[in-house]
Amino acid sequence: MSLAVVIRSILSAAFLASVLRISTPLILPALGGLITDLSGAVNIALEGIMLVGAFTGVIVSAYTHSWVVGVLAGIGAGILISAVLAFFHLYLKTDVILAGIAINIIASGGTIFLLYILTGDKGSSSTLASKMVPNVNLPLIQDIPFLGQVISGQNIFVWLAFILTALTAVLLYRTRLGVHIRAVGENPTAAESVGINVRRTQLIALLLSGFLASLGGLDLSMAYLALFNRDMTAGRGFIALAAVYLGGRKPWGTLIAAVVFGLADALSNQFGSLNIPSQLVSMIPYVVTILALVVYAVRQRQIVIERARKFQERHMAEVAEAKAAND
Amino acid sequence: MRKALSIPSVRETLRIILAVLIALGLGFIITLLVSKDPLGAYQAFLAGPVSRLNRAGEWIKESITLTMLGLAVALVFKANLFSLGQDGQMQLGALVSGCVVLFVPLPGILRIPLALLAAGLVGYLWGLIPGYLKAHLSANEIVSTLMLNAIAGRFYEYVLVAFLKPPTAGYNVSAEFPPEGILPNFVPPFLTNLYQLFTQKANITIMVYIAIALVFVVYFIMFRTPFGYELRMVGANIKFARYGGVNTKRTIVQAMAVSGILAGLAGAHLTMGIHGRVITQITASLGFEGIVVALLARNNPLVVPFAALAYGYLRAGADIMERSSDVSREMVLVIQAIIILLVTAERILPMVQKTIADRRAAGTTQPAEAETAKGG
Repeated sequence: MSLAVVIRSILSAAFLASVLRISTPLILPALGGLITDLSGAVNIALEGIMLVGAFTGVIVSAYTHSWVVGVLAGIGAGILISAVLAFFHLYLKTDVILAGIAINIIASGGTIFLLYILTGDKGSSSTLASKMVPNVNLPLIQDIPFLGQVISGQNIFVWLAFILTALTAVLLYRTRLGVHIRAVGENPTAAESVGINVRRTQLIALLLSGFLASLGGLDLSMAYLALFNRDMTAGRGFIALAAVYLGGRKPWGTLIAAVVFGLADALSNQFGSLNIPSQLVSMIPYVVTILALVVYAVRQRQIVIERARKFQERHMAEVAEAKAAND
Repeated sequence: MRKALSIPSVRETLRIILAVLIALGLGFIITLLVSKDPLGAYQAFLAGPVSRLNRAGEWIKESITLTMLGLAVALVFKANLFSLGQDGQMQLGALVSGCVVLFVPLPGILRIPLALLAAGLVGYLWGLIPGYLKAHLSANEIVSTLMLNAIAGRFYEYVLVAFLKPPTAGYNVSAEFPPEGILPNFVPPFLTNLYQLFTQKANITIMVYIAIALVFVVYFIMFRTPFGYELRMVGANIKFARYGGVNTKRTIVQAMAVSGILAGLAGAHLTMGIHGRVITQITASLGFEGIVVALLARNNPLVVPFAALAYGYLRAGADIMERSSDVSREMVLVIQAIIILLVTAERILPMVQKTIADRRAAGTTQPAEAETAKGG
């Protein structure tokens, strides 16, 4: 296949549509990662929560023959497991990173274990007739030549990802709870001193991230694919965490970062047909993340230096003023 | 008894043993629920590794890898750094040792040390990166090491498929290593025939001696060198350490990098001691195991090999259980997760009330410290 063919396919509506599809299971958990990160905890259990959500959705939808029940059960399982994480972290004072690792291990092992019991297969749930969520067709927009192909006919999770990004932005910057979450993350002692219930705020943040991460998992197993594969999240929970930093810890920034990862992933699929090794292309998102960490860190440091400088200037001005008054 | 309980280390040990027992008990309940022959399955799990000589050998080899990983984690955790980069360092160690063994035409007596050296060096270099990012830019080490793991994993598969895989191979594996690249069995001449029989039947390589030596080396570094002292200072209270004149940046970078040497060597053990070739996804299921070992050992290097043996026993037992019963080996992952949660849950037993009181008294600065660590 020639480069021209690859470029043409990259510029097609179908490619852009696929970027949206691939980005969705990153955007949703990344929003969850953002909320917990702002509340002062690094939720590395996103990966495990996604896996549990994906698994529960498939199993329940296969037995109830209803995608709605499957999705609801998946969400419930995701929230439940994040509640376990919250219980250990907030009430038993387990370190959140180690508890997160434990949750990831139990999710990976537990889903494979149960899959084997239910299907006799340790690889995938392909013998179960699980349901898929429906796609959303937009009556008028789907007739618009290019745009219609990109945004119409996407599954509901793609839509949810964008809607929930907007809602997360509102939650974090326009509501009391959002202010509390950010205050607790900034300085828990200060937050407590003004009467914010730190533990309850962090609990809500963790449960919200469980909700968002489980949606990401459900997208994988009930929309992106129509089955559960062992360890099917394949590190997306960690990439989502990285998207939070790449996006500068802001909702829309996080969404854009997640789409950048999705784009790199979609590109690596396309380049696979050229002679560029796909393993090397698929490294790009991770390299970008590390560069983003550096950029973010440098910027943070500049902000701190700037603040210190301003403070000093103000202080000097006050001193000069006092001196002038004394004279 | 009461007097013994008042010693913190005794209490800690009891707590960990109790956590393991509770986890094993829960594992048994799970087995009861899912197996047609739960007693047989659990017997295979608990007695399997010592039922045959070659199985015992598998257990020992597994424990060697776990010892080195556990040491790697203990070293960074002691400095209060959450490096999760052992997986990537291990993969690169495995890859580089494999390349040396396959492509450097030297006699075994030189080729093997060179391969080990190269594996340690690549682990060191791969550890420098997150160390530098953490120390000089305060970039979150959890995210950076996870990303570096992903990069290392892809690079590993790329080199394996593009350069090491013989055209005729059906799987993604390299050619088998020549004998000059396989770690030899080694029996000290003064030991008894029984031991000789064991090392040969169970295929115990010289890596067991290297691993034991590393335990003492890491202990020495941690508790008998200025670097180790600074590392522990940084781990206990980084602000205080900086105030006391410790070059905290250098300490952080070196802690991460030296830890990488150990993980790199663990990778070399996988290729040169266990598989005898470079295989795809060589570190599968080993990624975070060093953390469990370090947790069980409470970051004490001298306890690490015992924790590795105990935990390696569970892993080896789970493999045997899967082969000889209807319970799959993933049950051990559930047990593992429960152990982590119970060991790290500080408030789970009233026994630790005192430690909490100590901490409360010692560290009003601690929450702020944790904040800056998380904020980066």
